[in-house]
Order: sequence, then C-alpha cells, then structure tokens
Amino acid sequence: MTKYIKNNERKWDVSAMIRLKKRSRGVIPGFRLSMGVTITMLSLIALIPLLSVLLNLSGVTPGEFWRIVTDRQLVASYKVSLSCALIASTANFLFGVPLAWTLTRYRFPFRRALDGLIELPFALPTAVAGISLTTLYADTGLIGGLFNKIDVKISYTTIGITIAMTFIGIPFVVRSIQPVLEKLDVRCEEAAVTLGASGSRIFFKVIFPEIFPAAIAGFGLAFARCLGEYGSVVFIAGNIPYKTQITPLLIVSKLEQFNYAAATSIALVMIIFSFIILFAINALQSKIDAMARG
Amino acid sequence: MYVELRGINKKFGSFKASDDISFSIDKGKLVGLLGPSGSGKTTILRMIAGLEPPDSGDVIVDGVRVNDAPPGERGVGFVFQNYALFRYMTVFDNIAFGLNVQKRDKKHIKERVQELIELTGLSGMEKRRPHQLSGGQKQRVAFARALAPNPRLLLLDEPFAAIDAKVRKELRAWLKNTISKVGITSVFVTHDQDEAIEVADEIIIINNGRIEQKGSPSEIYKSPTTPFAARFIGQSFAVSNYDALRGFEKDDNFPEAILRPEFITVSKLNALLYPNSTQDGVVENVFFRGNLSELRVDVAGVKISAYRSLEDDEIYVGEKVGALIYQLFLVNDREVKLIRNSLLRDENSVFI
Amino acid sequence: MRQKAVKTIIILTCVLFVAIMLIMPLFTVITYAFRQGFKVFFSAIADEYAVKALKLTLLTTVFTVTVNTVFGLFASWSVTKFQFRGKRILTTLIDIPFAISPVIAGLIFILVFGRIGWAYPLLKAYDVRIVFAAPGIILASIFVTLPFVSRELTTLMQSQGSDEEEAAALFGAKGLTIFRKVTLPHIKWGLLYGVILCSARALGEFGAVSVVSGHLRGKTNTLPLHVEILFNEFHLTAAFAVSSTLVAIALVILVLRNLAEYRLKKEENADVR
Repeated sequence: MTKYIKNNERKWDVSAMIRLKKRSRGVIPGFRLSMGVTITMLSLIALIPLLSVLLNLSGVTPGEFWRIVTDRQLVASYKVSLSCALIASTANFLFGVPLAWTLTRYRFPFRRALDGLIELPFALPTAVAGISLTTLYADTGLIGGLFNKIDVKISYTTIGITIAMTFIGIPFVVRSIQPVLEKLDVRCEEAAVTLGASGSRIFFKVIFPEIFPAAIAGFGLAFARCLGEYGSVVFIAGNIPYKTQITPLLIVSKLEQFNYAAATSIALVMIIFSFIILFAINALQSKIDAMARG
Repeated sequence: MYVELRGINKKFGSFKASDDISFSIDKGKLVGLLGPSGSGKTTILRMIAGLEPPDSGDVIVDGVRVNDAPPGERGVGFVFQNYALFRYMTVFDNIAFGLNVQKRDKKHIKERVQELIELTGLSGMEKRRPHQLSGGQKQRVAFARALAPNPRLLLLDEPFAAIDAKVRKELRAWLKNTISKVGITSVFVTHDQDEAIEVADEIIIINNGRIEQKGSPSEIYKSPTTPFAARFIGQSFAVSNYDALRGFEKDDNFPEAILRPEFITVSKLNALLYPNSTQDGVVENVFFRGNLSELRVDVAGVKISAYRSLEDDEIYVGEKVGALIYQLFLVNDREVKLIRNSLLRDENSVFI
Repeated sequence: MRQKAVKTIIILTCVLFVAIMLIMPLFTVITYAFRQGFKVFFSAIADEYAVKALKLTLLTTVFTVTVNTVFGLFASWSVTKFQFRGKRILTTLIDIPFAISPVIAGLIFILVFGRIGWAYPLLKAYDVRIVFAAPGIILASIFVTLPFVSRELTTLMQSQGSDEEEAAALFGAKGLTIFRKVTLPHIKWGLLYGVILCSARALGEFGAVSVVSGHLRGKTNTLPLHVEILFNEFHLTAAFAVSSTLVAIALVILVLRNLAEYRLKKEENADVR
C-alpha cells in the first residue's frame, strides 16, 4: 500500500514537471522559496487529496466502474444536471451581456447598488440561497404561488433547479465581460458611428465580437459551477429519483450509504468533466490575453 | 580598460541575442550601444548589470570578473527604459532606496539625496509621487536614483525613448553634461543615431547580436567599416544601377551603392559649379523639412535624395536640374568601399 | 428618441432580472425571519446550537483565510515574477478547486482521512480526528477557496509587471524588502479584495463542509449546516432568522468588496496618468 502511494506521488510530482528554464529567472529573489511553498501547499491541500480518488478506485475493476457510472439512476441525474446547467448558463449568457452593458455604459439611479448586488450569489451562503429560493418558488411562496395558479410548479421540479443554478451563475458572465467592455476603445464605436452604422449594427458587428470570447469564458465558468453546485440546488430540487436528482446529490447519498466505491466513481466522472471545462476555459483565456496584447 | 566584455554569447531559445560580443570601455567614457530594435543591444546592457546571465564569456569590471556577482553587488546603476520608478514612493524615497538597502545612516542618506536632487534640478519635488511628474522629471529621478549609491558604472536603457521630442533634445544635452560632471563611466542603449552621435563619446553599432563597428561618432559617420553601418547611419539610401551616375563605374564586386543626401548637390541649370561632373535630372518631389528642403530627383533612372538650403533659389517639381554626386559607398555582403566621383578629381584636384 | 427607448428598455429588463433573481430571495429571507416577531427571531439566533455553529464558522473562516492568503501571496509571486517551464500547468492546477464540485472537495478528504482513507492508520495511532471534526471542515473550506486570493493577486501583479521589483533587486534589496516596500503597496487593495471574497465563500461553504462534518449538532455544525437542519425540521422561521444573520454578513461583505474594488480602480487610474 505505502509503496503504491510513493509511486503514485512520483508520477504526479509537479516540481519535476515544473523545471526552471535554465538560468533565466532574472534577478528577483525568492524563486525557490515561493515555488516551494506554492507547490507544497498545492500538493497537500489539493493535488494529493484529489489523487486519492484514483488511489481509491484502484480496487474497482473497469467493468464495475462502468456499471456504477452507467447506472440508470445516475444517468438520469447526468441528464438533469447537464440540461439544467446548460439552460441556466445560457440564461446567464443572455442576461449577462445586457447586464454588463448596462452597468458599464449607462448612468442611472442606484447603478452602483445594482453593480454591487451582482456578486450576491458569491457572498450569500449557498444554503441560505437554497432555502430562500425554495420558499419563494414553492406553491405557497410569493412567486411560486403565482405560477401555481396557472398550474406550473417550480420548486421540486427541474425548473426550480434551473432557477437555482441561474442564481448561482449570474456573476460569472457579467464579471467576465465588464472589464473587457471597460477597456474597449470608445474610438472604435465612434469610428463606426462616423461610418454611419446604426446602434444595433455597432453592437453586433463591433462590440459583440470583442466581448464574445470573454462571454464564452464566463459561460464556461458558470456552467462548471452550476454542474457542481450543491447547496443552493439541493433544497429546491426535491431530489425525486430519476426526476430531480442532480449528480452531486448522488455522491452524497452514496456516501451516506458508505458506498465509497460508487461515490468515488461518480466523483471521477465529474472531475474529468470539470477538467475538460477548465482546460477549455484556460485555453480560451490565453487566447483572450493574446488578443488583448494585440 | 574599465569595463570589458570577452566572448559573450547569449541565446533565448533558438534566438541568438549575443554572438561573440567583445569590447572594452575606458574609465570615464560615455558609450552608446546603437542598433535597430531586436539587435541585442539591451541584452548586452542587462548582462553587464547582471539582470541576465551570459551563456558563455566574461564580464569584467575594474579588472574583476563579475559574472557570478549578483546585480546588487556589482556597483552598477541602471536607468530603465520606462524608468521603473517605485510608484508608491515619493521622489525622495525613490532616490533614497538604494541607500536604505545599504543601511546607511539617516544623516548620510538625507545629505546624499539632497545633493542629487540639486544635481538633477528636482528641488521642491521631494514629496511628489511619480505620477505627479512629467516624463523629463521622471527620467531625472530615475537617474538620481541610480546614482545615489555611488555606482562605479551607470547603465541607461533607451533613456530618452519615453520623452516628447522637444524635451528629449534638452535632456540629451543635460544628461551629457551631468554625466561628465559626475565623471562616471556610462553605457547607454539607443536605436536613434542622432541621439548616439550627439551624446556618446564612443559608439558601438550592434546588429543581429554582433558588433558591427566601434568608434567615435565622427569615425562611425565618416567611415563605416561594414555594409550594415554604411546603411544604418545617416539618411542613407541604396542604389543598384549606380554606374548610370556620371563619374562612377560599375565594380563587379559591389552590386550596390549607398548614398546620403549630403553627398549630393543639386543646382539650378544656370548655376552649375562643376558642369563636367554634373548630370541632368528631373525633380520629382520636394519636401519641406523645416530648416531645409529635401528633393527627390530622377537622374538617368536613378532616384536620389538631396538637401537644399532654404536660402537658395527655390526649385520646383518637374524642374530640370543638375545633380553633382561627390562620393558614395560601394557595398557587398562583407565590405564597404568609399568611392569619389572620378570626374571631379580631374576637374578639381584639390577637392577635399 | 429611439435610442433612448432602447436604453430604457434594456435598463428596465436588467433591473427586473436583478429584482427577481437577487432581491426577491433576500427579501424572502428577511420577511420570513421576522414573520413571528422579534422575540422568536432573537431566540432563534441566540440558540445555544446557533451560537456554537457561529463560533465554528468564524474559526473556520479565520483559518481558511489565513492559509489561503499565505498561499495566494506565494503562488502569485511565483507565477508572475519568474519565467519557468510548466507555468501554464501550475496556474491551471491552482484553478482546479474552482471547477470541482464542493461535494467532491468534501469527498476527497474522506478518502484521505476517513475510515477508508490511506492516512487513517496514522491518524488513529496519534488519536487525531480530521473527518467529522473541525479540522476536516477547515481543510475542505481551504480547498474550496484555494484560488481566491491567488487569482486576484496574479491578475493584478501581471498587469503591474515586475520592472520595479527588478529595479529594487538591482540595489541589492532582499526579497522581503522588495515585497514589503515595492510590491505590497501595489497589491494591498487587490489583496483585501481577494481576502473578502475568500471569507465570503468560507463563511457560507455548504457542500464540502456538509460532506465532511458529520452533522454533529453543537460540535461540527457550521451556520449554513445549522440552517439546513432547521429547514429540514420545518423550523422555517428559525432557519430564516439564522439565515438573516448570514445575509447581514453577506451584505457587509458586498459593501467592503465594492469599497476595495473602488480603491483598486482608483489607484489603477492614478497609475495611468
């Protein structure tokens, strides 16, 4: 067992992967110290615990793993998680662009307050958001009651999950676009005006292409967050098997049944998915940076 | 020989920034490293400072090899291109920084900073922050900051690049005076030949990581020793069919000639000085350049540029004129050769 | 005329969106908290378990923010002041916790320190409890908020460049001096901003903490977990009363955050001049 860990660690030894470019580190002191502290802390807090997922799965055969992760209940949860997260982050995209635009370009009363509120989903504990949304959208709640009259139920359905995810994802798109919009050269727009372009043409031909990469990055971040979100979703979801169970919830319920192999297997699937999104966003980000450098 | 570089090589990836660089600088001299952007001149400066280690070769200051000494112990002052002033410190604290690092006593620091503030004409600005200063003032602060710990050697990276054209001229003169007043050995980097010629005691021309030529400004100007130096210095322009010019013959070893406007005199047809060596041409363009005008003239199919004083009779576009070419540089891949107009030699043997 | 109409419509849409999505939930918390009067509200937040949960939450937050500030400073210094191979990989690795579900963040610590974990025999030998105890909660919170400070500082330090640090190093200044005198003044507001974000998330973390805490009332319950229990036991008013204290903290954090951001932008603009 211990031998296995050692091997495993060596394979993932980041300090070996990150080798100093020979003698070109310049004159600023502290490379060894800061790099050492960074990699040690990162390994202890994040990497080694994460790799324990793989270690734990070493006892699970590929066949078993496949059976676990393609379980009918689980597949249903993938569908719920993916579709709700997709709709929610699309909603964030659609509302995020005009929101960012309004906050950077227009001046109106309470603009600063509105701007400050955007981060509420970051600052508000997710459990509080969860119970609040659940109550608000329940049949007896302020908004849920209205919809109940036309026979639409929100809490304890996928609509509720989507709303909770939308709530949690609001800041991502807005905050990705805002700095780009702020730095956008007004002269570009002015140039377009002097060439006789109309308002909507300027937006779609001049401004939108500029903010699009950032908006997509924000979309990706929101999507990743929505997929993994637990606290704000779990209350409003109602957790009806095959209908409103999200994937993270199934990890929790497997853990509560002490079924570690299953919990870990599902976790691995989610981690892989997260990594793909993360790398995609980072690739996009470096493209944005390259564009910004011109 | 106070500063000496011996066989310096430096690569960034596959890019060769320094290719066997060797030169030496005498004590008290003000030397300009001149070259186009990307020629590797800044890299040389950074290697002397210790900001960048050479791959091979020696950096010697005052007889001691300093390759392994950290920058703080080399006794160099460095003025960065964008000054890199500490934005959150006052002018006083910026200048005092190096002395504070050396843990000098308060009284000494105060005196030294005061001395430098007076030297650089920054009196009354001690309490200001960098963002409250003009470009020229920032440069003076950067200069004072570099000088404060009494370095043996002052290095300046494109010291005038970030300054308005008008102030730049004043600062050049100021810097040259101040450096000679302080008497410190200095090296500066520039891509601007006017700047190098005006400020430096000695110029080193760098191209593609190699030294092209080293010499006094007038040597560099009058007798370039490499084709690059001939092309780079002055308002040079290249001509391939130079044998069409009267007084010059084709030399098969040299496919191209380099001319400068000051090698050419353009005169009205009724006021020719040396009719036999002068050739007819047609003025294609006239550019007003403030203190003189620049003419573009077509001479037997060769396009040449020449200056004309504003006090002379005005010449118009389309006018037929006489062009007299005193000399030109013949160049090939390796060599430069100065050729005088052969007819002119016959016409007036005492011509310079 | 038409432009103005478009502008008004866009602003109204945005305000409406924010009102429904953000303000309504806040409003709900407050109204439900006070729906049975102040007395019930105060008894709910003065409840013994609520107070204990608050203490644990604050302890967790202090630890988390401290560790992540240290990490953030070193990590951002590493990735912005030096050139090295694998920098891209390192920055991506640091971002991992952003993309991973908090539930998984909790799970991995169970897999390390729990009864099936590889470190369990060692912990047992020294009689240390991590999972289902405060250390586990703190660790999970640290994991979830790991990139907060470092990301904020990295962006800031990248845009500042390292010329000034290089200039200071030329005078022979030591690392700590350079950091204190040259770098810190640049990043102080960004640092505060990152610390605020980090505290907010640490205070409110639910998924990760829920998995590792074991829900022992009075022992391993944080405030958000306490809210969950109250809600699931249908103590709606109490749940919202406790929530309202968290909302109050969240609003204070938002105000602080905006102040920090305002100062940050102001200084950035001053630099440009």
